[in-house]
Amino acid sequence: MNIAVQNPVQDHPETRPETREPLLVVSNLKKDYVNGDVVAQVLKGINFEIYKGEFVAMLGPSGSGKSTLLSILGTLLRPTSGHFFMLDHDLTTASEDELTQFRNRNIGFVFQYHHLLPDFSALENVMFPAVAAGLMSSNEAEARAAELLTRVGLGHRLNYKATKLSGGQKQRVAVARALMNNPAMVLADEPTGNLDRESTAQVMELLREINQESGTTFLLSTHDPNIAARCGRKITVVDGKIASIETVAAPSKETVAA
Amino acid sequence: MRYEVKVALRYLLSSKTQSALLIGGVAIGVLVFCFMTALINGLATFQIEQTVGSIPHITIEPREQEPRVLRGDGATILPAILRANTQREQIRSWQTTLDTVTADPLVRVAVPIVAGNGLVTRGQAVQPVSITGVKPEQLSEIASIGDNIISGSADLDLDGVIIGSRLARNLSIQVGQPLVIRSDRGRERNVRVRGIFSIGIETLDERVVYMNFKSAKALLDLDNGVSRIDVKLYDLNSAGDLSTQFRTATGLKSTSWTEKNRRLFDAIQGQGSTGGLIKFFSIVTIVIGVASALLLTSVRRKPEIGIMRSMGVTKSFITRVFVLQGVLVGLLGALAGAGMAYAFCSIVAEFILRPNGRPVFPVDPAQGAYLFGIMLATGASALAAILPARAAAGIDPVEAISQ
Repeated sequence: MNIAVQNPVQDHPETRPETREPLLVVSNLKKDYVNGDVVAQVLKGINFEIYKGEFVAMLGPSGSGKSTLLSILGTLLRPTSGHFFMLDHDLTTASEDELTQFRNRNIGFVFQYHHLLPDFSALENVMFPAVAAGLMSSNEAEARAAELLTRVGLGHRLNYKATKLSGGQKQRVAVARALMNNPAMVLADEPTGNLDRESTAQVMELLREINQESGTTFLLSTHDPNIAARCGRKITVVDGKIASIETVAAPSKETVAA
Repeated sequence: MRYEVKVALRYLLSSKTQSALLIGGVAIGVLVFCFMTALINGLATFQIEQTVGSIPHITIEPREQEPRVLRGDGATILPAILRANTQREQIRSWQTTLDTVTADPLVRVAVPIVAGNGLVTRGQAVQPVSITGVKPEQLSEIASIGDNIISGSADLDLDGVIIGSRLARNLSIQVGQPLVIRSDRGRERNVRVRGIFSIGIETLDERVVYMNFKSAKALLDLDNGVSRIDVKLYDLNSAGDLSTQFRTATGLKSTSWTEKNRRLFDAIQGQGSTGGLIKFFSIVTIVIGVASALLLTSVRRKPEIGIMRSMGVTKSFITRVFVLQGVLVGLLGALAGAGMAYAFCSIVAEFILRPNGRPVFPVDPAQGAYLFGIMLATGASALAAILPARAAAGIDPVEAISQ
């Protein structure tokens, strides 16, 4: 899967910082859902790019197509037309096996409803993507998972069953798990949507810190302007189209949950 | 594969009640399978032993004479069998035949027999009998006469006979009392009853008179030959092949017990088919049970499977986790079921007895086909898991995660 980027965004209206390297390039991406004779156009030609190390928010009301777009970028869903490239790979033409492998090595997910594996401990949940794919031995994976859990402030909860953790703790485990295989990009779908005010602040703080420390690129969908204000750029999706792409002049440090 | 095993085990352990019920279901299926196998095989062995225990596995007799063509007057041709009435059919070179047969390593014993018809007379009572002359030391080699003597002893001296219990009753005779025996050759001999046996087979208990080999030869006018050679083998299943072999080697008529007991053979096969059907359905039950339980699991774990797929866990990993659950359930259930079956068969064979001490069910715990049952149930469970595994692997992660 070595398909070179064919510079599909040459004519993109947004200004591209020439000094930075694009990680994700999305070009005229469309997604239709067909139900009998009814065709619902969910994405109507999306174009944008994200650079390595960015912390980007994707804003938009419910039903705007954010989650569909995130699923496509996470290679869980195929677009109807258009292309998107990550790390120079055209992910619209790759086979399912190639996508599974790519996802495992390069993309981390954090979902709204944490989605931890309930029968496994925090440590085992974090280890899972590495061990299940055979990337690391159990011992190596355990050491890295423990390190990541300590980093997200759960060093004292390594062997707790996922079901025994609080909502905020579960989401922090999910963050650690998303980082396990050292992905190029973490996609977070409403990561704080299900958390209280305090946990929201903690999780956002954590994501921002990890972004600063490790340079991992983050794209997180939210409908909360306060969260978007903490990000470097805001991409607003309305009715399946990009309504605006704005650079946040000085991302705020404080997060106030809506 | 190690991690798949861990996940499969974790899944099974997380819903202990469901797993225990599932394993219990497989165990009962295997219990039925092994018990039925032990019962059907035990019954067959019992029936064969009952029948074959008292009869020879192979009987070697003089060859029946071929029809000869008699030329009549003109063009008339008459096929006919010419029987020499003055001479009894016999194996003349019986020593050579006996040596040939005994030399075969599959043969346990070969017993030369002189046999003929006769009448026994005691006072006014006359009974038709089958005179069987046998060497005293070989009396119990074919039918276990010695073990079934109910009165007197099994000694066959020159003037002694051993008779069946029904014949004794018909003649109102007891051990030590005399009787006259007359052969169809017209010869007569005064003998004494030395022993009375009861085998439970009517033809033997009512018709057969055992005599000393030498006395019978004289009585039946068979000075040089014997009537037949009865053969017992180590393995009665080799009777068919060996019978053919002896026929070729000796040029005599050789008949195996299966040819003489076709009905029994058919009945045993019928039982086997019925048992096979029950065993088949016990395996089908296992397959349905495992498949439905794992399908339910795949539905219940849909969000988890979705999250695993989003982590880049392959479809084949998920498939293996589910098939392994089937294998583990099958293996654990089958091991438990086979163990239970062995214990159950042993108890039934040992403790559930008729008043005469024989088991009510002729179960043979050694013939439960446990290993086969374990392999079959495990394999069936693995196969049963394929459908749920495919369903689980095919779960759409986007749909699963949005649930």
